[in-house]
Amino acid sequence: MGKQIAGFTVNGKLYEAMVEPHATLLEVLRDQLDLTGTKHSCGMGICGACTVLVDGQPVLSCLTLAMAVKDKRIVTIEGLCEGNVLHPIQKAFVDHGAIQCGFCTPGMIMSAKALLDKNPVPTREAVRIALAGNLCRCTGYVKIVDAVLDVAEAMGKGED
Amino acid sequence: MRLPDFQYVEPKSTEEACAFLKDHAQESKLIAGGTDLLPSMKQRIFKPKYVVNLCAIAGLDRIEFDERTGLRIGALVRLRSLETDSMIWKHYPMIGQAAEAVGSVQLRQMGTLGGNLSLDTRCYYYNQSDSWRKCRPTCIKMGGETCHAVGGGKKCFAVFSGDLAPTLLALGAKIVLRSAKGERSLSLAEYYSGDGAKPLSIGPEEVLTRVEVPVLPKGAYGSYHKYRIRKSIDFPLAGVGTLIALEEGGKVCREARVVIGAAGMRPEEVKGIGDLLKGKKMTESLIEEASEMAFKMAKPVANAASTPTYRRRMIKILVQRALKQAM
Repeated sequence: MGKQIAGFTVNGKLYEAMVEPHATLLEVLRDQLDLTGTKHSCGMGICGACTVLVDGQPVLSCLTLAMAVKDKRIVTIEGLCEGNVLHPIQKAFVDHGAIQCGFCTPGMIMSAKALLDKNPVPTREAVRIALAGNLCRCTGYVKIVDAVLDVAEAMGKGED
Repeated sequence: MRLPDFQYVEPKSTEEACAFLKDHAQESKLIAGGTDLLPSMKQRIFKPKYVVNLCAIAGLDRIEFDERTGLRIGALVRLRSLETDSMIWKHYPMIGQAAEAVGSVQLRQMGTLGGNLSLDTRCYYYNQSDSWRKCRPTCIKMGGETCHAVGGGKKCFAVFSGDLAPTLLALGAKIVLRSAKGERSLSLAEYYSGDGAKPLSIGPEEVLTRVEVPVLPKGAYGSYHKYRIRKSIDFPLAGVGTLIALEEGGKVCREARVVIGAAGMRPEEVKGIGDLLKGKKMTESLIEEASEMAFKMAKPVANAASTPTYRRRMIKILVQRALKQAM
């Protein structure tokens, strides 16, 4: 099985790309679909910057073979905003100063989204565990966790 | 980082996978979550001609429990599923504890039970890129004659670094393997060769399809304790899985199994602890004696983070923590 055309549903839209067997989902997203919001950082699964949602679950796109996710529903950071309107999680990150260089941010937000989709009222500890696979070299994490907790509240779901 | 080129194979059934492996096993690598294989391929440790994705095979991702026969977990069950399964926490909480200790949320979402049990052994001098490794003579695990971790070493000391194995071994788990020749069952202990260079004792044409865990003895405690530098992502630098069963009335030990992981080329049971504790009431001094046995047995070498001495001492501390549960 060599290079073949494959369809990918990303952010609700069907894309087609010529994909080689060794292509990772990250490479297809960035290099072929021009969705460069998802970042390539360690390439080995230990930083989380490449996190995207596949069928609602957070996975590392640098370690996902593109061929393995042809029929799955993929959501990247680009899928969160509506036109120019930021997703509440994105807005909270901005409001809280949770973004410095911004490189970890897309992965952080995707992990946060996966958490809040399942657990709309997380404790601080639950947020830290959910984001523990996303490393940040700039912020020291506190404002990131504050931002995620704030979103839960802002979405009207109550307590810390 | 780019992967080397390969041909992608996606069998739709175990039969199809086994039929393919019958002819191509030596040139193939199996993939499920890919969290161990793909980094190694990016480092050019492996360059298989075929990568066989098992995830399209239905039916290998079930968790089934029967009060009389115990637990059956398909090899493709994601660690995240084990971690979040209420039945696992109700009947086998120590398995949930081991599953939630692995990696990170994303790694547990992708990684499978079969994959974690089948993890390649690890070494600071092995898990490096092609260009890094080329600066040194080829190590024993890569087919050469030198061990960089242990000066003058004549065998491979790469560490078994899986989190699920110690606890599952303490619970007496069995595994089921399929190949074109049929199905066979092994105790999980037999799965591990103890050879750092070739850690699994099965043939490349065999596929791990499920894990079976017996019914736990009444009044049993179990646990998994892990030492790692950070509280996420890292492989274990020391790991201890236990099963302790107490007599009715709850103080005298009926059975104790303590398995240490990440201290050698395979997880090892500290058999002396079982003999030491059987029929006795758990006391501080017994726990000290038992943990000292584990300390003596653990022989980590300088091929991972931290230091061998610290990791050895942590084995002792983790055993103490595990045994204190039963006091």
